[in-house]
Amino acid sequence: MRAVSLILRKDVRTLLRTPALLLVLLAYPVMIAALLGLVAGYANAKPRVALVDEDGLPAHIVVGHHDFNVEATIKEVSRNVTLVHLDPDEARRELADGKIVAVLTVPPGFVATLQQMTKSPTLEVSVTRGGTSGRVRQQVQALVYTLNQKLQRAYIDANLQYVQLLLHGGDGKFLGESFNVIGLDGTKKVLDTLPQTDRVKRIQRFVHDARLALAQTGDALHATAAPIQLVELPQRGRTASLSAQVQSYALGLTITFLSLVLAAGALAGERDENVLGRLARGLVPPGRLVAAKVALAGVVATVLGLGVAFAFAAVIVIGDAPGGEPWGRLPLLAAGLALTGAALGAVGSLVGALAREARTASLVAVLLVLPIVFLGLIPPEVFAAAGWVSDGLPFAHGVRLFSATLYDLHPWGAVARETAWLVGLGALFSLLARSAVRPFRP
Amino acid sequence: MTVLAARGVARSFGSRVALEPTDVSLAAGEVVALVGPNGAGKSTLLAILAGALEPSEGTVERPDRVGWVPQRAAHYGRLTALENLRLFAALERVPPARADELAREFELPAETRASSLSVGNRQRLDVALALLSSPHVLLLDEPTSSLDPAQRERVWRIARSVAEDGGAVLVATHHWEELADLTDRTLELVEGRLT
Repeated sequence: MRAVSLILRKDVRTLLRTPALLLVLLAYPVMIAALLGLVAGYANAKPRVALVDEDGLPAHIVVGHHDFNVEATIKEVSRNVTLVHLDPDEARRELADGKIVAVLTVPPGFVATLQQMTKSPTLEVSVTRGGTSGRVRQQVQALVYTLNQKLQRAYIDANLQYVQLLLHGGDGKFLGESFNVIGLDGTKKVLDTLPQTDRVKRIQRFVHDARLALAQTGDALHATAAPIQLVELPQRGRTASLSAQVQSYALGLTITFLSLVLAAGALAGERDENVLGRLARGLVPPGRLVAAKVALAGVVATVLGLGVAFAFAAVIVIGDAPGGEPWGRLPLLAAGLALTGAALGAVGSLVGALAREARTASLVAVLLVLPIVFLGLIPPEVFAAAGWVSDGLPFAHGVRLFSATLYDLHPWGAVARETAWLVGLGALFSLLARSAVRPFRP
Repeated sequence: MTVLAARGVARSFGSRVALEPTDVSLAAGEVVALVGPNGAGKSTLLAILAGALEPSEGTVERPDRVGWVPQRAAHYGRLTALENLRLFAALERVPPARADELAREFELPAETRASSLSVGNRQRLDVALALLSSPHVLLLDEPTSSLDPAQRERVWRIARSVAEDGGAVLVATHHWEELADLTDRTLELVEGRLT
C-alpha cells in the first residue's frame, strides 16, 4: 500500500502541475456531453412528413354542420411532425432519399366519403424503413388520432341531430333525401288524444321510456367515441436538461473520459520516463503500479465528478427546480464515482499497458471513449448485442449506479447489483492490465 | 568473497537473443569494466544483474542493496531532482535526509524540473538515485557519457569508494581506457556472449 500511495501522490502532483491538461480533461467531456444533449434533442425533433393530396382538398370542408378550414386543421393536428405538400412522384423520391420519413396520402373520394358520414374514409401512409420507422409510425398515428378527435365532435353532433329529430320531430335530410318525422313528442301528443285502452297505455309507456333513453344519447355517444379520456394535469416538471437521466449520463461521460485517458496515459508514461526498470527492482511491482493508476483514476473521478454534480446542484437550487437536489445522497454518489472511476481506470490501465508509449495510449483511450459511451446509450431493445457488450464495460453500470444513488426512492438493490458489476469488472481489467505490463527493455 | 553472482543468465526478446547464457561474478572490493560494441548485450546484462529485467533463464544472487544507473535517463521529468530523490528514497525506505544529502553532493538544482535539466545533470541525478541506498554493488551503464571531466572524476571516485568499502562495481563503457587505473579486470561482451 505504501508503494501504491507514493506513486499515487506522485501522479496527483504531476497532474496538478499541468493545469492545462486538467482543464482539457474536464472541459472536453463536458463539451461532448453538451453535444450529445443536442443530438438527443435532434432525435426528438419533428420529422418531415409529406402530404400527398390526390383528392384535391378544398379550403373548407363541412362535416355534420361543422365547417373545417382544411389548412388550419392540418396545421393544428400536425404539431409533432412537419407536414410538407408534395406531389406523388416527389414524395416517392424524397421518401427513397430519406429526406422525408413518411408519406400521408389523401386518396380520391376522401372528402365525399367523409361528408357522407356513413363509412370511414381512409388515409394511406408509407413509412421509411430502418430504425426510426417505429417512432415515425407512432407520430403519424398520433396525427390521425388528433384528426379523428376533431372530426368525432362533428360526427356526434350530426348523429345527435338525427336523435333530436326522433325525439322532437321535424324536417331532416339523409343521403340527399328530405324527410319529415313526427318524433316521440308528437307521438305522445297523438296518443294522449286516443282512448286510453291497455294497448295505447303500453305504447305511451314505451314512448315515455324511449324519450328518457334518447335524452341520454349525447353523453352515451361521447363515451362510446372516447371510452377513456386522457386529461393532463397541470404539473411543473423538471426540464429535460436537469433530469436524473441527463445528470447520470453527464457524470458517466465525464469520468469515463477522465479515467480512461488518465490511467492509460499515466501507466504508459512510466515507460516513457524509462522508470519501469527502476520500479520493477522490488520497489513497485507491476500489480501495485496498476493499482496506483486505478486509484488515481478513482480519486480524480471522485473530485471532478463531484464538481460536475455540484454544478448541476447549483443550477437546480438557483432555478428552484422541482424535486430539488438530493444533498443527502452525495456521499453515496462520491463512493459510486470512486468505484466507477477505478473500474474505468482499470480499462485505461490495460490500454496503457498494451501501448508502447503515452501518446499512443492517450490517443487509443480517447478513441475508445465514444464507442464505450454510445454502447451504453443504445437501448438493449433496439440492439441487444450492444447491451451485452456494454454490460462488459463499466460505463453503463456507472450510469445506472449514479441514477439509483441520486434519485431512486429505494436505491440499495440497484446499488448492490451495480457495485458488484463494477468491482468484478475493475478486478478483471486490473488483472489483464497487470499481465499486459511489458517488462523493462534496455 | 563474491557479492554478486549470475549463473547461466540469458535473455531473449521475442525471437531475438540479446544475451546468451552467461556466468558473471563480482568479488568484494573489485571494480570490473564491461566492454563491447553497441548491441552486444551490456545493458541487458546490467539490467538483469540489477533486478530490473527478469532473465529468460538462469539465476542471480545479489545483495539487498544494489545501485543501478541505466544507460538512458530513468526518472520523472515533471518532478524536480530533489522530488525524484525523495520519492525513490521513500520507495527504498531510505530517510529523506539521504536524498537531501545527495542533492547537495551532486549540486543538483533543487527547484528545476528534471525534464528541464541538461543531459549531464540528468545523468548526475541518475547516479545520485543509484546511491540512495548506499549500495554494496554498483552497476553503471555508461554513466559518464554526458558528464564533464570533473563530474566524471566524481563518479569514478564514488565507484572506488564503494569497492573500498567492501562492495563491487561493474561499469559498462565504451571508454575503458579512462578506467584503466580504476578497474581490476575487464569483461568483453560480443553478440551476447562473454569472450
